[in-house]
Amino acid sequence: MSHTVLVCDDAIFMRTMITDILTQAGFEVVGEAESGVQAVDKYRQLKPDLVTMDIVMPDMGGIEAVREICKTDPDAKILMCSAMGQQALVVEAIQAGAKDFVVKPFQPSRVLEAVQRVLG
Amino acid sequence: MDLSKYAALFLAESREHLTACNQLLLEWEREPAATRPVGGLFRAIHTIKGMGATMGYAGVADLAHRLENLLDALRQRTVAPDPAVLQLLFRSVDALAASVEGAVVGADSPPDETLTADLDVAAAGAAFETPRRLSAVPDTGEIAGVTAWEGPVRPIQVALHRDAVMRGARAALVVRRAESLGVVSALQPPASQLDNHDFNGRFSFRLASGASEEQVLVALRGAGHVDSIRFEENGTGGAPAGQARQIRVDLGRLDALMKQVGELVVAKNRLGVLVAGSADRELAEVSDRIARLVSGMQAEVLAARMTPVGQVLERFPRVVRDLARDLDKRIRFDAEGDEIELDRSVLDEIGQPLLHLIRNAADHGIEPPDQRVAAGKPEEGRILLSASRERNYVALRLSDDGRGIDRDVILAKARREGLVDGGAETLSDDLLLRVLARPGFSTAEAVSDVSGRGVGVDVVVTRVRALGGTIEVRSELGRGTTFTIRVPLTLAIVRALLASAAGECYAVPLAYVAETVEFDPRSVTAVQDREALLVRDKVIPTVHLRELVRNQPRPAPPRAPTVILEIGDRRAALVVDALMGQQDIVVEPFDAPRGMPPFVGGATILADGSPALILDAAALV
Repeated sequence: MSHTVLVCDDAIFMRTMITDILTQAGFEVVGEAESGVQAVDKYRQLKPDLVTMDIVMPDMGGIEAVREICKTDPDAKILMCSAMGQQALVVEAIQAGAKDFVVKPFQPSRVLEAVQRVLG
Repeated sequence: MDLSKYAALFLAESREHLTACNQLLLEWEREPAATRPVGGLFRAIHTIKGMGATMGYAGVADLAHRLENLLDALRQRTVAPDPAVLQLLFRSVDALAASVEGAVVGADSPPDETLTADLDVAAAGAAFETPRRLSAVPDTGEIAGVTAWEGPVRPIQVALHRDAVMRGARAALVVRRAESLGVVSALQPPASQLDNHDFNGRFSFRLASGASEEQVLVALRGAGHVDSIRFEENGTGGAPAGQARQIRVDLGRLDALMKQVGELVVAKNRLGVLVAGSADRELAEVSDRIARLVSGMQAEVLAARMTPVGQVLERFPRVVRDLARDLDKRIRFDAEGDEIELDRSVLDEIGQPLLHLIRNAADHGIEPPDQRVAAGKPEEGRILLSASRERNYVALRLSDDGRGIDRDVILAKARREGLVDGGAETLSDDLLLRVLARPGFSTAEAVSDVSGRGVGVDVVVTRVRALGGTIEVRSELGRGTTFTIRVPLTLAIVRALLASAAGECYAVPLAYVAETVEFDPRSVTAVQDREALLVRDKVIPTVHLRELVRNQPRPAPPRAPTVILEIGDRRAALVVDALMGQQDIVVEPFDAPRGMPPFVGGATILADGSPALILDAAALV
C-alpha cells in the first residue's frame, strides 16, 4: 500500500509541485492544507503517514502547527519545506518535532531522499 | 525538471499576492499603527520568493528576498513605518510585479541596483536584534545528571557532506537524533555558532547513552547528508567509522559520462519537440518523465565534476616564493575563496593562464624592495588571488600592488606599430588589454623595460576566451594592476537564450544576458558616433545581429527584441529579429574554421536537430 501524504502550503503553486513530485514517486496525497490551523485539523482527521509543511503560512505558521501535531502524536513524520535564509526557523521546527527538511528551490530527488529518510 | 508547465500557475498566484500587497500597503498607510498589514506583506513576498526561486527566476527571487528582509525587520519592531519606508515598499512591489511579468516571458533580470541598495539600507536600519539560538544543549561542559550515568560517554565527531545545504539545521537534526538516544553535552562548535554562514559542517559532542555504536551510527546517519561519524576526541586521527562514502573515479570516465549525458540532453530536447506536435497524452507523460530524469542526471553528473579551486590555488604560494627568491624581491601571496567550485575541465584549463599572470605580476609588477621603499610602499609586495561566484560564472581576480602599467609608453609603442590610430590620446583599460593581447605586442624586453607587462598576455587571453570566459584589466600607475578572469562554471552544458537574425538561429549563453528589452527607436541615442540605446538611464551601445552576420548595413527595424549583454561592467545591446526562448545546449568542441567571424564562440545542435552558432558575448561588448 502506498504511503499517504498531507501537503501543507499556502501557495497552490507549491502544493501542485510537491503533489506532482510525490505522486510521480507513487505516494498518495490524501489532503492539502493552506494554513497551520487546517494542517492540524486535517492531520487529526486523515492520520497521514507523512506531512510536508511550509514554514510561513497564515492562521498559525508551520512551526506552531508542528508543535500542535506533535503534542498529540510525537511520532508524526513531518518534513519542513523551507527557503534559503530560514535556517533559524528550520532549527526551531526541528526542536518542535519536525523530522527533516528540504530547501527551496526543490529538486525532486532531494525531496524524495528526505521523504525516504523520514519514513525510513 | 521541466518547469514551463508551472509558469502560468506561478504568474497567476504571484499576481494575486502582488495585488494583495498593494491593498495591504494602502491599509498600512491609512493606519500606520496596524500590525496586520506587515504580517500579510511578509507572507505574500515570502511566497513569491519561494516560487520564483523554484522556477529559477533569480531576479525575482533576489528582489523578493531583499524585500522580505526589510519586512521581517519591520514586523519585529513595534514602531510604525515612516512615509519614506512605505514609499520604498510601494516602489519595490511595483518593481517585483514588473520582474514577475518579465520572468515568465523569458526576461528574468537582476533587480535595479539603486532599489536593492535602498532596501538593504532600510532593512539594516530597521533590524531589531532578536537572535534565535540553535539548541538548548549547553555549549560546553557536562550537564547535571550525567555524572550519575554509569554507561559509556562517547566522544563523537560528525562531518556533514560538503554539498549539504543549511548545515546548521542539518547539524541540529543530528543532535536531535542523538538526544533521542541519551544525553548530549559539550557540543563544539557551540550551538550558538552552528548557524553561522561559515560553519563547515564539522562538529563534535559527547553522548551518554547505553546504545551500541552500531545503533548510534544508524540513528545519526538517518539525519541525512552525514559524511562521516567517528567515535573519538576532537583533534585525533584515525579512520572514519562506518563504511567509506567516497570512491575514486578515473577522470576519463567522468568525461565520458558527461559526454553521454550531453548527447542525452540533445536527444531529450528533440523528443520534447516531437511530442509537442503530437496529441498523444501518454507519450507526453513519458517524455516529461524522461526530461525530468535527464535533468536530474545532468545535475548529478555536473555536481560530481565540481572541484574546489583550492586544488589549483594551493600550488601558487610555493611558485611565488621561489620566484621572489630568484628575483631578489619580497612578495607575499594570498589566496581567497579556495572553496569556490568549478567544473574539473575548466579548472584544469585555468591553472596555466593564472600561473602566467602570477609570474608576470612577480616579475614585472612588483618592484624590488629599494624601489618600493623609495616610492613610500611597504618593502614587501603583495599578490592577491581571489575566487568568487558571480551568477553562472566564477571570477578569479589577480591583483598586485606593484608599479602598474605605464600607459604612455604602451600607447607610444602601440602607435608605432600601428595598433591604434595616431590621434589616440589615452588608453582606456579595455583598449589597454586589446593592445597587450596582440600577439605581435608581446616582446618581453620592450615591455618589461617600460615596467609593464604583456609577456604572453595574448596566450592568456586566447586560453580564457577558448573557455568561453572573459578577461579584464585595471591598472593604475604606481598603484598596481588587477586582472579579472571570468569563466563559466562548466563547459559541457550551458543554458542559452536562442535568438534569430536573418533566418538563422543563434545561442547566447545566459550567463552573460542581463535582461531583454525592446529596441525602441525613440530610445536611440549615440555615444562616440556609435548608435546606442537608452535603457533606464543607462546608455548601451547597440549591435545589430543582422548587420553582423550579413555584414551589410540595413535600416534599423522600428521595434525589435534586444538582448542586453553584460560582462563585468561592460554592456552591449544586441538587436535581434526574434527571441525563441531558452534551452540547455551542449557546447560542441569547436575548431573555428578559417574565416569564421570572431563573435562566434562555438556550435551546438538544437532541440529540433538543427545546428546553431553560439555567440561569444565577450567579442560583442
